Amino acid sequence: MADITEAVRTRGLVKRFGQQVAVGGVDLVVPQGGFAGLVGPNGAGKTTTLSMVTGLLRPDDGSVHIGGADVWRDQGAVKARIGVLPEGLRLFERLSGRELLSYNGQLRGIPKAEVDRRAEELLNVMALTGSADKLVVDYSTGMRKKIGLAAALLHNPDVLFLDEPFEGVDPVSANTLVEVLRRYTASGSTVVFSSHVMELVERLCDWVSVMDRGRIVAQGPLDEVRAGRSLNEAFLALVGARGDGDPAGREGLSWLGATPS
Amino acid sequence: MAGRDPLVNAGTVRVGPMVFVRLKLRLVAGNLRGSTQRLLGFVFTTIAALLFGTVGFLMMSSLRLASADVAVETVTVLFTVFLVGWAIVPLLAFGVDDTLDPSRLALFPLRTGQLVTGMFAASITGVWPLASLAVTAGAVAGLATGIGGVLLGAVVVLLHFALCVMLSRLVTTSLSGILRTRRGRDVLAVSVVFIVLAAQLPNLLINGGVSADPRAVLHALASALSWTPSGVAARSIADGGLTALAGAALLALLIAGAGWLWIAALRRALVTPDASTQGASVRNSRGLPAKVLPDGPLAAVVGKEFRYARRDPRGRVGWFAAIAVTGVMAFSMYGDGEGAAGGVLAIAPACIGAVMISIQWCNAFGIDGRSLWMNAVAYGSDRDWRTDIAGRHLAVATIAVPLLLLLAAVAALLSGDVGWVVPAALTAWGVLGAGLGVGALTSVLVPYTVPERLNAFTGAAPGQGGIAFVASFGALICTGLLALPIVLPVLLGLTWVSALAVPYGLLLSWGGRRIAGKIAFARYPALLQATSVAT
Repeated sequence: MADITEAVRTRGLVKRFGQQVAVGGVDLVVPQGGFAGLVGPNGAGKTTTLSMVTGLLRPDDGSVHIGGADVWRDQGAVKARIGVLPEGLRLFERLSGRELLSYNGQLRGIPKAEVDRRAEELLNVMALTGSADKLVVDYSTGMRKKIGLAAALLHNPDVLFLDEPFEGVDPVSANTLVEVLRRYTASGSTVVFSSHVMELVERLCDWVSVMDRGRIVAQGPLDEVRAGRSLNEAFLALVGARGDGDPAGREGLSWLGATPS
Repeated sequence: MAGRDPLVNAGTVRVGPMVFVRLKLRLVAGNLRGSTQRLLGFVFTTIAALLFGTVGFLMMSSLRLASADVAVETVTVLFTVFLVGWAIVPLLAFGVDDTLDPSRLALFPLRTGQLVTGMFAASITGVWPLASLAVTAGAVAGLATGIGGVLLGAVVVLLHFALCVMLSRLVTTSLSGILRTRRGRDVLAVSVVFIVLAAQLPNLLINGGVSADPRAVLHALASALSWTPSGVAARSIADGGLTALAGAALLALLIAGAGWLWIAALRRALVTPDASTQGASVRNSRGLPAKVLPDGPLAAVVGKEFRYARRDPRGRVGWFAAIAVTGVMAFSMYGDGEGAAGGVLAIAPACIGAVMISIQWCNAFGIDGRSLWMNAVAYGSDRDWRTDIAGRHLAVATIAVPLLLLLAAVAALLSGDVGWVVPAALTAWGVLGAGLGVGALTSVLVPYTVPERLNAFTGAAPGQGGIAFVASFGALICTGLLALPIVLPVLLGLTWVSALAVPYGLLLSWGGRRIAGKIAFARYPALLQATSVAT
């Protein structure tokens, strides 16, 4: 039986694309409440894992439970309880920001008046009121992340899954996103997000899962994972600084830099 | 100013046209790597181009057998077609070739002169340009007389070819600023329909029996075109003497002019930023049914579909194309359907319209594509998916039902008996229902991605052309078969059967939605993947 204090738990999650194993037996655990970070180098399988957890990609093997309910067996119950912002900012481009929010709200069966009220507040908090009637296709990256997050929050989910929410976002918008998310978690809700920005993960998260080559290589409370080091150092030690050649070496690249006169 | 690195400097390595030619060949080769489908497609187009070049050359050469006047006039018209084709076709397929977009080359330290010769060389690299050069060269074999005539003719052909290329570059470059903006691409995408229609025009005219004498039509066309560059080129090749020299000089002048304009446009394109992000606000209207319907997913989907039909160029193209194809088919039917009964002329256009409209929805999730996940994360049962499809059908029907009524009314008027409007409209509505039911199934069974950037040549993402073909033709055939039980009796004179058409259509569309909802829920991850292929 799944522990009720666990927001998310996967067992032996596997996904293959042809010959390549993208995710090879992931046991992801996220405790309830607060921020949980999913970090790993490019190609580690973070996006694939999050897609399977959020019910957008069917796993080849393994199970996913969110709040004790099986994601793939009990879709109706799980989907009402989670909010998702996948990678790539794929939104309904030809709706305006306001229409996108009201579409999402109505799709989830929230009464129109309530949807409009929540949408207005979200637009206001996200500083999007001025662009609310522009088409999403004309939005900048930061605006798209914000409207995507607003759409994911509209039905007040228990758990929020964000794939690279801060990638390509300017510092002002990033700050807005963090503030909104902080308010959201303060009441006991859970945010799971993947990121490359270690400082941000370190600043926000109480729980970290480190992925590498389709597996979880470390998982636990932040302090346990970083064990006295900075998260960045711990991360590099865990995944190994492979493929970087010899960064300190003096071989090669002798032409790079100012020409000695 | 020399850079701080002595080796990185203009002059040490010459960046000549060959660099661009190799870049273009690399791009073509890289595009084919690892995809059998694309490789097959490439082989197929290469063979097609070779055939086109060879057959075209032989046909042009065979003009020698015709009288001198006819030969010159034919060449005039064909050369004009080539010139216009060169100007328009790359525009419709913009984005096919990276060497054509000057903005990609803006950061390299190239002088405009290098860029011009390089892009010129790149744009004549390829099987289609060479094939069209071969066809153009056929004119020399067909028209020229004497050794001097052949030599001058060859020069004129090369000049005309160069003019084609220059014009094509000039058009794409001067429009590249617009083409990079969202609005510009939207406009272009919709204009594709009109160009495809315009291509149907001669066919229609001939079908309609408008052209009395092909010889007279040719003469009229050619004399209208005789002072265009193409006409001058054609007469120069035929003449071979001093007139030819003057013609060649004129063409060279035109090329220089076009080249100069091109350089100017290129200079501007390289430094003009994309200013398309300043979008205007949109009106917040949802369409009538979304206002009437109770709150909830159904109203949400209907409202979204209405907005997409209006705002997404792909939606608009779909509707325009459906209406246009119906018009073309109906028109050609009036042309050769003299003996047909009045009822057929009234009913057939409306039914064809219904099929054409419903075919647009044989891939209902294709336009949502990469944003479909938003629906998927909200839908937890097959009932939700069924509601989604029902919303799409409702939106289509709201536009299509009055449209088909109008079509039936026009067709009935033209057929001479206004009374036919009732059975025609009823039958067409029934066919629409059948088509939507079939379309719901193909949408979930053989989904494919509709690319953001439409061009006139394909409606699917790279590698999905076969699936798109199966989906639309499968839907067409199934709809045709399912429509037979109601259409055939009505056509044969059992008009009362049309009263059953609407219930029949509703039943089929309901059944389609019911099965499609179950399938969609079972395999929506595959649906998401198939509709979000990178384009």
